Amino acid sequence: MPLSRPTLFPLCQLSVGTTGRICVINGDDSFAQRLREMGFGEAALVTKISGSTTSLCQVNGTRIALNHGAAMSILVEALPSSAR
Amino acid sequence: MNLPPHITLPAKKRFAEPERAPVYAMVGNPNCGKTTLFNALTGLRQKVGNYPGVTVEKKIGETYSQHGRPMKIIDLPGAYSLASRSPDEAVLRDVLLGRREDTPQPDRIICVIDSSNLERNLYLVHQILDLGRPVIVVLNMMDMATNVGLRIDHKKLEEQLGVVVIPCEAVRGKGLVELKLAMSRANLPLAKHRWDVPAPIAPAVAELSASLCDIDERPPLIARAEALLLLTDLDSVRVAGSKPISDRTVEVLATWRKRWEGNGTDWSATLIRSRYEAINEICAKVLHRTREQGLSFSDRVDAVLVHSVWGWLFFGLIMAALFFSIFTLAEYPMNWIDAHMATLGNWVKSAMAAGDLRDLLTDGVIGGVGGIVVFLPQILILFFFVGLLESTGYMARAAFIMDRPMSKVGLHGKSFIPLLGSYACAIPGIMATRTIENAKDRLVTILVAPLMSCSARLPVYLLMIATLVPGDTMPTTTKVGIMLLMYLIGTVGVFAFAWLFKRTLFKSAPPLMIMELPPYQPPHLKEILRQMIERGWLFLKNAGTIILGISIVLWFLTTYPKHPDPAAIPDAQIAHSFAGQAGHIIEPVIKPLGFDWRIGIGLITSFAAREVFVSSMGVIFGVESADEDTTPIRDALRAAKWPGGAVLFTPLVCFTLMVYYVFAMQCMSTIAVVKRETNSWRWPLFQVAYMTGTAWLVCFIIYQTGRALGY
Repeated sequence: MPLSRPTLFPLCQLSVGTTGRICVINGDDSFAQRLREMGFGEAALVTKISGSTTSLCQVNGTRIALNHGAAMSILVEALPSSAR
Repeated sequence: MNLPPHITLPAKKRFAEPERAPVYAMVGNPNCGKTTLFNALTGLRQKVGNYPGVTVEKKIGETYSQHGRPMKIIDLPGAYSLASRSPDEAVLRDVLLGRREDTPQPDRIICVIDSSNLERNLYLVHQILDLGRPVIVVLNMMDMATNVGLRIDHKKLEEQLGVVVIPCEAVRGKGLVELKLAMSRANLPLAKHRWDVPAPIAPAVAELSASLCDIDERPPLIARAEALLLLTDLDSVRVAGSKPISDRTVEVLATWRKRWEGNGTDWSATLIRSRYEAINEICAKVLHRTREQGLSFSDRVDAVLVHSVWGWLFFGLIMAALFFSIFTLAEYPMNWIDAHMATLGNWVKSAMAAGDLRDLLTDGVIGGVGGIVVFLPQILILFFFVGLLESTGYMARAAFIMDRPMSKVGLHGKSFIPLLGSYACAIPGIMATRTIENAKDRLVTILVAPLMSCSARLPVYLLMIATLVPGDTMPTTTKVGIMLLMYLIGTVGVFAFAWLFKRTLFKSAPPLMIMELPPYQPPHLKEILRQMIERGWLFLKNAGTIILGISIVLWFLTTYPKHPDPAAIPDAQIAHSFAGQAGHIIEPVIKPLGFDWRIGIGLITSFAAREVFVSSMGVIFGVESADEDTTPIRDALRAAKWPGGAVLFTPLVCFTLMVYYVFAMQCMSTIAVVKRETNSWRWPLFQVAYMTGTAWLVCFIIYQTGRALGY
């Protein structure tokens, strides 16, 4: 399975308008807990709306803003645009 | 007989009905429309207070049941989870668990849900159902769910959860009757909570709840819910006024944590995943997507409004509109109030015999309070703008845009919301810091927030600008320019001190920010108006009590003891009076700033509130023109001289005085709020020292440099 693993990159590098899937959440435990509680956990789909340092993402119909540090600690895999 | 489920026949008298009216708690995620629903249910029957020890607003309202019995509703702060990360979430948790001695544990819970985001909102509901209390779930914003292509089968949801579910549109008042009927029911069904604690953490939960039951005397279901929370409560935000947990329980908790740390179980993630699995199972049955969910209207607008170029442009435009309207729109009502105050003063003068009482009324009451009431229109405009930004949802976008500059000083965008609010008044600003999770960041924000030029500084700025240049020769743009400069100096001060504090006193890692941007909404004008009236009334009440009191006391202190020579000029009289003596004592300290003892009196009295400076100047300098018509204070100030005959209020002194008010901590209410928030005198006193110290230092530099340059 590790062989077929797609490349992961931080959420802040996801380009505007594309969708990715959250794979890994780093950062401190309490932050990770809150992210997951807000439905921003592993396997959730995020669409980037705006921003490169401070990111604005759409998850499950809500807009969540993350600052640079937060967006750096979330690793995503890019999804082809047809996957939505 | 077929009745809708929310209407019940009289319950069989199995249990004696409690005599006490049931207490409801209202909970929900932020931005789920909870406050609108609360207002719709309770109308004006609300009491707004504070949880002692924390500046979290405590709102209790009353509504009437179907049978006319009063029912109490406690509006709790919005939260995503019971595992709290900030003080307002901690209050929610503690009230629901019955940990607060100042608030009764609610008998029943109303969970408000934003229907357009069912899954996430059900997470909190899921935790609340653990508590084993009767719950009513309100599916709010059903219209928005329909708009984004979601259909929720509320009957099925009711079946799944086992509790009453009521679809509702609080903004339009839809569903309120049904909710009230449900609230009136004598017996509400309890949840059939078919969720089992995940196997890996079940033993820990069992041991902890046993300890909570036996030693902390919790009811069994509450104990289980609290055990689940304690296990995931990583930061354990503790707030003043909540009961501590017994040592035995703490010990059990520590043992389990250590064991998990040893074998690397992420119990928090396990627990959250298990809850979401249960929620997804429910959603699969009740939630139908009528069409593909793409980007919403708000998403599209956001792509522009938080854009790195257009976003800033729009933000700049809004700020410009704010300041422009404070100056131009407010002028008409201000002139009107000004004229009427002058007429009133002259009428009293002509109607009463000369004497101390007449002077008290004209100089003390009308001169003091009238000088303040004039600024009501501008304060209302300021609060209107802040209300508009909050109500439409733009405030969160402003925080988003400001995140980058804020990160340069070590704070994140969320800290900007309290700071922007502080342009109106530092007190609601400081109250708004409760959503900042990191305690150090919160404290830094509280410490710098009063540096933002608040509405109480407006009167001082305006009086000084009016004194600065005679008549109407100065174009409005220059006046606005000077004013904006003051706001700029204050704002730069905020950033500078935040930077300094984050590097010295409150060193911590750069904070991670997650913030939900609520959907754009048409502004609730009624709600904004209500807030404006509330704040305006507070301002007038202050003018009628504190400022009136200070004006009368000050009038007394400037009038007595009487000068031995009854024909002495008013100036000599004030110098001889109690206030004059006090002013002379502090004169050596403020003389290097270009201020004389009379300004000194104003600095002392305005320690209560900044706007008192204006009324004090009215009382002190008004006395000099005792025989003429009530002249505007600015003319009296312009005529004021040093003993040597030099003009007192030179442009340089006016400017220095404005800068003094930018920095100096001159507000009793702020000190009281900071004391309450930080639970010690240490921080408010530190704040007074650093702010007033900076004010003196900066003014000293400005005045002495200005003098050296020949101004």
